[in-house]
Amino acid sequence: MPANDFKIPDDGGAATSGPTPPVTDMSRTELQARAGLYALLARCLESEVDTDLIHLFRGPLKETIDELGLDLGEDVMNAPAEDVEDVLENLAEEFTALFVAPGGVLPYRSVFETGRLFQAQADQAEAAYKAAGFAFRNVYSGEFSDHVAVMLAFVGCLFERQLAFDEADNASAASTCAVQRETFLREQLGPWVIGWSRRARGCALHPFYRTILELTEQVVWEDVSACSDQATLKRLALSNRRRLMRQTADPDFRKASGL
Amino acid sequence: MGIQEKLSTSRRGFLKLGAAATAVGSAIASSRLVAMEQELGGADYSPVTGEKRKAVPYTCMACNIEDGGVAMIENGRIVKLEGNLKHPNTRGKLCAKGNSGFLHVYDPDRIMTPLKRVGKRGEGKWKRISYDEATSLLAEKLRAVIERAKAEENHEILNEIVMKWGRNRTGGAVKRFMHALGSNSMVNHTNICESSKKVGLEPSWGPDIESCDWANTKYILNFGSNILEAAYFMNPNAQRLVDGVVGNRAKIVTFDPRLSNSAGYSHEWHAPYPGTDAAIVLAMANVIMNEGLYDADFVRDWTNVTAEQLIEHLKPFTPEFAEKESGVSADDIRRIAREFATTKPATTFSYRGPVKHLWGAYQEAAIHMLNVITGNVEKKGGYCLPRGMGWPQPEPVPPAGPALSAIAKPPLYPLASHAVSTNAPYMVMRGEAKVSVWMSYYDNPLYTYPSSHVWRAFLGDESLVPFFTSFSCYMSETTEMADLIIPDVTYLERHDPESMPSGLYPCLSIRQPVIQPLGGTQEFRKTLIDVIHKVDPDGSLGIRKYFAFDSVEDWMKQHFDNIPGLKEEGGYERLKKDGVWPVYGKVDKETAKLVDDNGNEVKAEYGLYTTEIPDEEMVGTEISEEGTITRDGKPIGVRINGKNYVGFGTPSRKIELFKEEWRTFGFNPLPTYKRLPSRDKKPDELVLTTYKVNVHTQSRTASLKYLAEMYHKNPAWMNPQRAARLGIKDGDLVRITSPLGYIVTRAHLTEGIHPEVVAISTACGHSAYGRLATLKQRDPAARWAQGNDPDIANNVWWDDRGVHPNPIIRLSVDPIGGSQGWYDTVVKVTPAQAGDKYGDTNVSIEQAMKDYDEMLRYAYTGDLHRAAHKEVDTDWDNLPEPKLSSH
Repeated sequence: MPANDFKIPDDGGAATSGPTPPVTDMSRTELQARAGLYALLARCLESEVDTDLIHLFRGPLKETIDELGLDLGEDVMNAPAEDVEDVLENLAEEFTALFVAPGGVLPYRSVFETGRLFQAQADQAEAAYKAAGFAFRNVYSGEFSDHVAVMLAFVGCLFERQLAFDEADNASAASTCAVQRETFLREQLGPWVIGWSRRARGCALHPFYRTILELTEQVVWEDVSACSDQATLKRLALSNRRRLMRQTADPDFRKASGL
Repeated sequence: MGIQEKLSTSRRGFLKLGAAATAVGSAIASSRLVAMEQELGGADYSPVTGEKRKAVPYTCMACNIEDGGVAMIENGRIVKLEGNLKHPNTRGKLCAKGNSGFLHVYDPDRIMTPLKRVGKRGEGKWKRISYDEATSLLAEKLRAVIERAKAEENHEILNEIVMKWGRNRTGGAVKRFMHALGSNSMVNHTNICESSKKVGLEPSWGPDIESCDWANTKYILNFGSNILEAAYFMNPNAQRLVDGVVGNRAKIVTFDPRLSNSAGYSHEWHAPYPGTDAAIVLAMANVIMNEGLYDADFVRDWTNVTAEQLIEHLKPFTPEFAEKESGVSADDIRRIAREFATTKPATTFSYRGPVKHLWGAYQEAAIHMLNVITGNVEKKGGYCLPRGMGWPQPEPVPPAGPALSAIAKPPLYPLASHAVSTNAPYMVMRGEAKVSVWMSYYDNPLYTYPSSHVWRAFLGDESLVPFFTSFSCYMSETTEMADLIIPDVTYLERHDPESMPSGLYPCLSIRQPVIQPLGGTQEFRKTLIDVIHKVDPDGSLGIRKYFAFDSVEDWMKQHFDNIPGLKEEGGYERLKKDGVWPVYGKVDKETAKLVDDNGNEVKAEYGLYTTEIPDEEMVGTEISEEGTITRDGKPIGVRINGKNYVGFGTPSRKIELFKEEWRTFGFNPLPTYKRLPSRDKKPDELVLTTYKVNVHTQSRTASLKYLAEMYHKNPAWMNPQRAARLGIKDGDLVRITSPLGYIVTRAHLTEGIHPEVVAISTACGHSAYGRLATLKQRDPAARWAQGNDPDIANNVWWDDRGVHPNPIIRLSVDPIGGSQGWYDTVVKVTPAQAGDKYGDTNVSIEQAMKDYDEMLRYAYTGDLHRAAHKEVDTDWDNLPEPKLSSH
């Protein structure tokens, strides 16, 4: 999968913005596919890989994975059954180092945007869940509502719900779901998940997480792009482009400070 | 000429007027616009919505002073911390560390989930597990030790369960836990802190350190304490010190080899050679006694020595002798002695400077004696006893473990009542103690201890420490070595009872969660309950009953609900409301003094030792020839001139300047001075000292953004003249070499340091403790990616995290007080060699083990002890045998 940079509109973001009705029009097949895709990404980033997930990759999903050329790691796809336990241990260690332990790339919007855990971003996420009839519940300590996986799962649920209403010929409810999803994508996932995924991917040692994170980046950006005007896209692209500011001052001893 | 012309219509003219206005200061200050905290008194409002924020009182634990605080909560988050105006000793003020404390809570480098090691020890590979899994794993390890002890019918095995702490403010929870498990192996941190100060004082007048009445004094002699920045009770003491110096025009004289901010604030700063304070003090005592400036009545009535005895003892310690030892002039010593003795009231204060040496307890005992002979003890404006309050432990209280523990109380240090924690790894490495389960609470010896590399070797060796659990919520250098991390919460999310003798108003305070533990984390107290319940699920071990608490709150209620006085006012609920009890009054907005409802200052009590014992309480007592009043063999007071007083917390109930127990072990029973080995260093060597700074604790504040930005590097202070002789210029890279090895750092040249001393601050040079402490976000290592924290990514303008000096500091234990001699290491400072890089550290384990052997020669059984105490009249051939004790 190519590591494209985010495409910024070339009109300088002059396009109009305003109240956004659902702008995406998806077929039932696409809605279902998107729901499944978000659920899969959420599952991979929410908790450690387990035997069931490995079986999923090696069974029902194998053909698609091969077809798309996704590299989930030789061990994940082909390690002998007697070694699967070791594979899972290795992936669990990688998961903890990347997403849980101090020094990792913590998967919370609050941390990405403020440098602190559990800030207003967590409230905003929770409010969106609540408005749609969901509630956040942590499984391990230290999990918050603005976790990337919870947000992805929420989008997946909205896709699924939209599909259900669509199938029930309730166009109005389906439209409401679509608005909720697009708003959430633009306002809560869009500002950070793409940049975060890219940064985390750069730190991942195992191909499984590199691939999942790249997939996350691409999927979210595609969906955000589909429902955003150009000005919004430009703003989102910039907010995701957090880069290290390199120290340019003389690193030698500076007497004025620290004394 | 118009105004404009007078001001030359220039910016310079306006500035001139402004400067002149500034000079007149308070004369034109607005009487209506005052500091918000002062006016609102603990109330706060959102600047966005205008809504009043929820205020929750708590007790700070950014460091060990335990100030009263109030957390301002908005939308369930801590947005601000400020001082609790109801706390009588901290009076509504917090220091920089305290104000920054809420950053701990939301720190993305905080450990939020239990972690189980999956790689090699110290490799940094973890797997997250739940609290339930973590407490089950620890319980399984503990249960195995208990069952082995039972199977082998050997109680000593229980002591293989070890708890080591740095800062234990749990109000008895750790002790309850360890005793419930049957272990006495509790290893505190006090010997790297102040233990020799306490041991220098406590046998003389009872528990804990002095509480000076700074605000009402007229003269302060400060020995080696940076009280405005760092020492024990910094915030309350600093406030009252300023009250005394500014409001009461007290004079302050500081003795410190380094020009600290406290020394700089003093009227006089004298820089003695490190570890010679006692020579100066004894010379002052010599002057005071020989010139008849002492308080004859107090010495006669309230001490266990005579004036003649003291005069005889002090004969060798002349001002000229002190000048030779310390470098402080004999004239100054005489002058200050006379000033101190004739200015009333007066007090000394001392902290780590004099006592963190071999024989540090002697130095403290000498300083204490100055106050005694001048009659300043427990006087208004004088040198007062500490004032604290206690709380009951919930019943049933587990008894101590059945076997005494060598690692907790090393037998070669019988007088070190605050233990000798530095020796723990050496004892295990030498086979003098054994460990099965090592637990670490609020502790980071891999950073904070001398020869800190020894702890890395020790905790990294699974044959010595088979299982290691850390309860830290930060990935410290020590926690990195753990097999299991069960994270505690920060101090703003948990419960503890508190009482610190931080002022003249005794009080209880409470630490309570100002918000719910973040993200479902669990406080240590709850973890202890869970572990015990899993060690003894059905109660068959007889342990579970000691932790029969329905909840943490239930535990706290049992501490507070039955305290007389507090009980009537609502007990635990009352404490939760105000954060402190009793509430003595309010802080006056103008004077900052504690006042009652009528605006009158709330007076502190003095002369506690002269409290008379009521006649009805004398029934059934006995009175010895010396006047000691005992009941059932226990001293409860002293009869002096026909009156029965409670006296001091000593066997005679008088101040015991003469310590018979010290003589028993071959130590001088009276305060004395011993020339330190470092005093005889070679001319090309320097004495290495360390110091704390005002915005950091030793270790755990390094990751706080506000504080890290303010202070993050620690160049080595050197005197310019000395540096010039060594060919070192300001900012040069230097190699500092002790027998243990070397570090490479930079030199900071300043006149504010003794020419024979090189000083390096603590708090810098971390190899762990989060990204801000280590600046590891600049490393290419993928595992330490910068985590997208915009503050760290964009606002960290410094590249220098400092260099930690502890690896080259030698183990050096005071054989009396047990303190680590932080300021006894002799070093050479040279320009860096080719290839040296800033931060290089190269140290030897073998030399550290040799240091341990050398150090034991100073213990009471050692040859160097005997050689240094030829004047002591004791039965040298029949010194007591080393034995285990419980202190």
